[in-house]
Amino acid sequence: MAIRRLLPGVFALCLGALLARGLALSLGVNNLLLAIALGVVVTNGVGIPARLESGIATHKLWLGAGIVLMGASISVETVLEVGGRVFLVVIAVATLTLIVVELLARNVFGLAERLGSLLAAGASICGVSAVVAVAGAVSAREEQVAYAAATVLLFDAITIAVYPIVGDLLELSSTVFGIWAGVSMFSTGPVVAVGFAHSEVAGQWATMTKLSRNALIGVVVLAYASYYARTGDGDIPSVRTLWAEFPKFVVGFLALAAVSSLGVFSTAQQTSIEHAYNWLFLLAFVGLGTEIQLGDLRQTGLVPAFVVMLSLLVASSLSLALLLVLF
Amino acid sequence: MSIDGWRPTAETVTGRWSALERDWKSVIVGGMIVALVSALELQIPW
Repeated sequence: MAIRRLLPGVFALCLGALLARGLALSLGVNNLLLAIALGVVVTNGVGIPARLESGIATHKLWLGAGIVLMGASISVETVLEVGGRVFLVVIAVATLTLIVVELLARNVFGLAERLGSLLAAGASICGVSAVVAVAGAVSAREEQVAYAAATVLLFDAITIAVYPIVGDLLELSSTVFGIWAGVSMFSTGPVVAVGFAHSEVAGQWATMTKLSRNALIGVVVLAYASYYARTGDGDIPSVRTLWAEFPKFVVGFLALAAVSSLGVFSTAQQTSIEHAYNWLFLLAFVGLGTEIQLGDLRQTGLVPAFVVMLSLLVASSLSLALLLVLF
Repeated sequence: MSIDGWRPTAETVTGRWSALERDWKSVIVGGMIVALVSALELQIPW
């Protein structure tokens, strides 16, 4: 039975989460970053046994469920107050990143057209998920998908380490740090991790900002599919793509935020839900750490990595400057 | 009802769950946790 196949890996994630929590409490370090570090050390040190792999791969499910539960803790008033400005920043930075990567990839470094598009989608929207979604729409070759995904994962690993340091050095406020991480880092897991590692408020802003960015994936897939269909070598897209690519846990997050804003949860229930998502994030981040395999990252091509690094520097510094002015 | 009677139901549930997209599974897991916390006043420690 399928569930039996998953149990050993899920049990390993639970053990990792408990260990990360215990170590974090005794060492006085952040439990989420420690959970990722634990996953990285295990996968690169001793490796993951084959029978644990399918269970550990459920980490994305726990991350999504944690984000849904986070909806119960969101202050709807605050979101309505500054949400419009944040969404404009999200659209501006995502568009800028996409254009910078496309221009550098095609016109400066001469990368293959589809590889440039995969890198642009990954850097501007939601990391590896965007790479996979766009790859399907533009009929990219398998090695291009692997190359683009490895490049995104390389920068996920780098930004997990660098963003908290920059945030502390510049003494950024929780709101600015959270939105900055959400608007400029690549994959959802690392964004949530560095946000909550900074503070609870930063974690909430980082997640909300990243979710609004993820919601743009349908538009980007549709745009790329239309472009490649026009050039005669891609599938003809339909508006149904918009819903098919929309991350459904965003719907769960919004639904729970709406229910919670009606005041249906008691303080004790709300606390329990917060604890539940903290545990789910820990499970997810132990699993996320196991995906950072240093051997694979070394195989990332120098030119794609350079293109993505330049665009990250541009998007990251411009968005931070903009946020410091706006908030 | 013998255990054999439950088997088709369990297989249907498992089949539907497997066919569900990952993001929807996240919503269902989240919803189940909220339902448990609300209905049973479950205290989750941290």
